[in-house]
Amino acid sequence: MENLEALMHGFDIALSGNHIFLMLIGVLLGILVGVLPGLGAPNGVSLLLPLTFGMQPVSAIILLSSMYWGALFGGSVTSILFNIPGEPSSVATTFDGYPMARDGRPTTALATAFGSAAFGALAGVVLITLSASWVAQVALAFGPPEYFAVYFLAFASFVGMGGSPPIKTLVSLAIGFALAAVGIDTVSGSVRLTMGIDELVKGVNFVVAVMGLFGIGELLIAVEDEFHVKAISSKVEWREVFRTLAGLPRYSWALLRSAAIGCWMGITPGGPTAASFMSYGIAKRLSPRRANFGKGEPEGIIAPETADHAAGTSALLPMLALGIPGSATAAVMMGGLMIWGLNPGPMLFIEQKDFVWGLIASMYLGNVVAVVLVLLTVPIFAALMRVPFFIIAPVIVIICTVGAYSVSNSYLDVMMMMGFGILGYLFKKLHYPLAPLVLAIVIGDKAEDAFRQSMLMSRGSLGIFFAKPLVTTLILLGAALLLMPVIWRTIGRMMPRTQARP
Amino acid sequence: MVSGRSLESATALITGAFGAAVVVSSLDNGIGWSSAGVDSGTFPFVVGLTILAGSVFNLVQGWLHARPVILRPSELRRLSILFFPTAVFVGVIPLIGIYPASAFYVFGALAWHKRGSLLDAALAAIGAALALYLIFELTFQISLPRGMLGTAFGF
Repeated sequence: MENLEALMHGFDIALSGNHIFLMLIGVLLGILVGVLPGLGAPNGVSLLLPLTFGMQPVSAIILLSSMYWGALFGGSVTSILFNIPGEPSSVATTFDGYPMARDGRPTTALATAFGSAAFGALAGVVLITLSASWVAQVALAFGPPEYFAVYFLAFASFVGMGGSPPIKTLVSLAIGFALAAVGIDTVSGSVRLTMGIDELVKGVNFVVAVMGLFGIGELLIAVEDEFHVKAISSKVEWREVFRTLAGLPRYSWALLRSAAIGCWMGITPGGPTAASFMSYGIAKRLSPRRANFGKGEPEGIIAPETADHAAGTSALLPMLALGIPGSATAAVMMGGLMIWGLNPGPMLFIEQKDFVWGLIASMYLGNVVAVVLVLLTVPIFAALMRVPFFIIAPVIVIICTVGAYSVSNSYLDVMMMMGFGILGYLFKKLHYPLAPLVLAIVIGDKAEDAFRQSMLMSRGSLGIFFAKPLVTTLILLGAALLLMPVIWRTIGRMMPRTQARP
Repeated sequence: MVSGRSLESATALITGAFGAAVVVSSLDNGIGWSSAGVDSGTFPFVVGLTILAGSVFNLVQGWLHARPVILRPSELRRLSILFFPTAVFVGVIPLIGIYPASAFYVFGALAWHKRGSLLDAALAAIGAALALYLIFELTFQISLPRGMLGTAFGF
């Protein structure tokens, strides 16, 4: 009940004219970056970040999170109408969304996607409303060993459940940690890993990495394919929208299951992309209409969309309550929180009640705003897709360059952005995940500090991680997740052999 | 044409080299345990070793299991048409500043693809530079790099 009261207070804050206006702007910008190839939620949010420094933190986070919702919706639009995923997390939506639209039912496909997306997001927000302050309460009792164990669990779940090759995930993660360590060590004050470049004392900023990895890298991937933008009618028939939305409850089992998968993957940082693929795969395996998948099956749209948005939303839960972002975009927002002078983690719920509950309330409103706005603007943004890629690409390159430069007015950052761009291209091409790298840059220092403080407490003995039940459980759970790929492979190898025997 | 094997190996070598550099560099900070707690090089050292070991694994895996062709010639061509102008754009910023660089970049892209007249391309180029100035320099007061050219003209 206390939560409900706090939430009502949050609505008071979020429902001011100023904040509704920021929501509209944020959602529209979000749809724009979601639709454009090469710009996505992570770099869209990074680009807006410098512009929020003068704002109230709660206004700033409403703007940024609304942009996130907009981007999640925008990514689905291009997936369905053009078979071009605007966001990595909407790739799975192309499997059935595009065939349905191509067969003359674009409105049905869009409405199905937005309806289930809204349901997924709602599931995520409700989860946050109900459990965030409870999680924060538990986390208040955490000491450095517990924190390190939670970080360890978060990183392990990337490796075990992220869906990318585990060793590639590990390398990506470790590179992020190394980059986080560049510059002045906060504990000893000594300078680390600058490789003889004096300017690197300031460290590697996550915004620079995001601009390169997600901006330049994504563009290089996108340019490879020749775009054949076939004009599917992008007119929205409102009666069909309502009929489709009214028909959604028929798929309530699929909706609930996908929302659960999404929430789980969002909290344990598997991220929206992995969530949507996993949900699609499970839906296909369990559905009686399995043969229809890939040909425009509604459940094939519902499953990835619900999970995508549920994961995207619930990724903010660990960010707020523990200071561990559940996705790359959440990591960027958390970077923002730290720049605004807030300390993400359980103390937020005590010291910054207005901020936390204002944000949570704005998530309810922001998603409603996003559904309405995206339906209204589909034709406009669809027209944008007909602008040739060779015009869009230079514009995006220039925007990313300015974004990277403006972080600290440094040309070195622009050079690093190009380096990250090449790395991002190679990584994407070869199925190395990028989100762990960004996450590790943002919270690598904190994880390291937690480890070193634990070691100080125990005078150098690793035994501290096995001294209390909670820590031990978390560490063992993490270790189990790390070993998951190995276990799966062993089971996989044993299964055919046992079957082969008579 | 680029084979999956060469791209996998190249990437693994890049990450491996980075890992090795991290390991070597972290040794300067000291690794292990001292009176002040865990030495500041320890964590990077472990991380560097992880990168190095993972890269070796990826190198072997990539060599054994890579797709034969990962980049067809047509894809490679389109990739270079975007990549090289971008690299030049970034490269000339310290010389001529971001405004002329952006203008030339937009002009070049439009002229190369022969869409519309050269006059249109020139107008779009000037428009792009102007938009940059209006949005960033004026509205958000972010000072953008002017380059040696800008300094020479006293901006």
